[in-house]
Amino acid sequence: MSSIGLQAEPSYGVPGKKRWAMVIDLRRCIGCMACVAACKAEYDVPLGVWRTTVRVKDTGSFPNTRRNFMPRLCNHCDNPPCVRNCPTAATYKHEDGFVLQRYERCIGCRTCIAACPYNARFMLPRNRTRVGINSVVDKCTFCEHRVSQGLVPACVQTCIGRSRIFGDINDPNSEVAKIVATQKTTTLKPEKGTKPQVYYIKPDRVGTEQVLSAPESYAARSDAEAFYRHNNGSRFFGGTL
Amino acid sequence: MFEYLPMHIAPWGIEIVIYFFLIGMASMVFAVAAGPATFGAIAAPFKDFEVTGSIVALVMLAAVVPLLILDLSQPYRFLNPILYFRWTSPLSWGSLFLPLFGLAILGFLYGIYREQPTVQRYSAILGTLLALSMPIYTGLDLMVNQTRELWANPTIPALFVSLSITSGAALVALVQLVRGRLTQEATRKIRFMIAFSTFVSFWIFLGLLMTMLYGSAELQGALGAINSDYALEFYGLGLVVGILVPMVLVFGPMIHPVMNFGRKPAVVTLAGICGAIGAYMLRDVLIHAGQLAQLYY
Repeated sequence: MSSIGLQAEPSYGVPGKKRWAMVIDLRRCIGCMACVAACKAEYDVPLGVWRTTVRVKDTGSFPNTRRNFMPRLCNHCDNPPCVRNCPTAATYKHEDGFVLQRYERCIGCRTCIAACPYNARFMLPRNRTRVGINSVVDKCTFCEHRVSQGLVPACVQTCIGRSRIFGDINDPNSEVAKIVATQKTTTLKPEKGTKPQVYYIKPDRVGTEQVLSAPESYAARSDAEAFYRHNNGSRFFGGTL
Repeated sequence: MFEYLPMHIAPWGIEIVIYFFLIGMASMVFAVAAGPATFGAIAAPFKDFEVTGSIVALVMLAAVVPLLILDLSQPYRFLNPILYFRWTSPLSWGSLFLPLFGLAILGFLYGIYREQPTVQRYSAILGTLLALSMPIYTGLDLMVNQTRELWANPTIPALFVSLSITSGAALVALVQLVRGRLTQEATRKIRFMIAFSTFVSFWIFLGLLMTMLYGSAELQGALGAINSDYALEFYGLGLVVGILVPMVLVFGPMIHPVMNFGRKPAVVTLAGICGAIGAYMLRDVLIHAGQLAQLYY
């Protein structure tokens, strides 16, 4: 039943099938943003939107403080609501677990953005200088074009702390399968039933719990709001850049 | 101190609110106009509304469809939901039903002008079913988003149907009042429609409020957003003006003779207009606040 409307059966734990997954070890993340830069370079991701981000939040008060990093990207869910909700099958699930986008079909209705619990999707701006894909929804692809050639995603390749680890979780000999089997890992919003395939080791609550996700810093909020005000005028809702 | 959090775009804005409101209103106007052909004698007071109501619904449909298309960031691909139909997406069903609804209205008018009662009757029945599907599918558009908890509520389609009945009845009353054809019998029927729909809306409103009050962290966050940013729209215009005032006006005559003015055509029309304001505001708040809770995550 869980495969209804997904175009590809969930492959997690299915023998003989691949299920690409990522583990992010937050003990190793130093917040260098190299993964964000590598992703931007790989896809010429425009200013103001991101396929992957590293959220930075400070907790506590001096002298008992801590800086928390939380890399975020599409979770390539095994049960992705964005795929089920897309009215044109522009978003689809690859049999190896990638959740991908057919740009030529996307009508920009933004239903998939509403459906995604992780805010992993975004609208590409109307004007781009070098890449002719505009005004459609985009997202992380787990670098399917690299993975299909035997490489790892650009963010994994560039991660200097080896915080990001990528592999086939169905293969018991893969590093991700071993880590998920032996370490304490968690996923984001598991209660939503999306079966996300990005696993985190030792995340902080400010990174995983939505109720704690609002900016504490006035500067962070005003920066973000200023950005959208600049790009969208007063149209914060429903706008495209 | 440096703290970095991306702020995400809320995908749906005012265009969707206006579309949901107007398509709900247009669908119920047609349902009333097609009533005599669909339901027979029980809807006879609206016999002289058949042509006018159908044209009003058609004009509204012609106005809102371009709005919906222009809201897409790729408007030239508006046929894709039909060409690549996805049965799991309510938006696909809506894209299919919308032109069919327009065709049913045209078929109904064709049946009237060509004096072909069979065509008129079948178009009326089909059109009424499609009209009912409009608020249902718009509600389902929200409801299927399991991750936006304010929307992922099975009462949302039912609420949209009841809000559409209120706003549709308001427009029928207004048009007939302006035309000088709001008879006592038609007024009684419209009063019943407003009474029924506002009563249903009231209980669904209470249910939603309780769900948020005692719900998950996200639902409580949505209630917090409503209370801080949309209190006037939600409680003032949505509940008081949109539900309670019409209820007092239309139920009043049943409670005390001093409230008998509630049977007057102009008062029933006023109750409907108040209900229509509430129907718009409740949709506006639900759509906007439903997105706010998750925006920073």
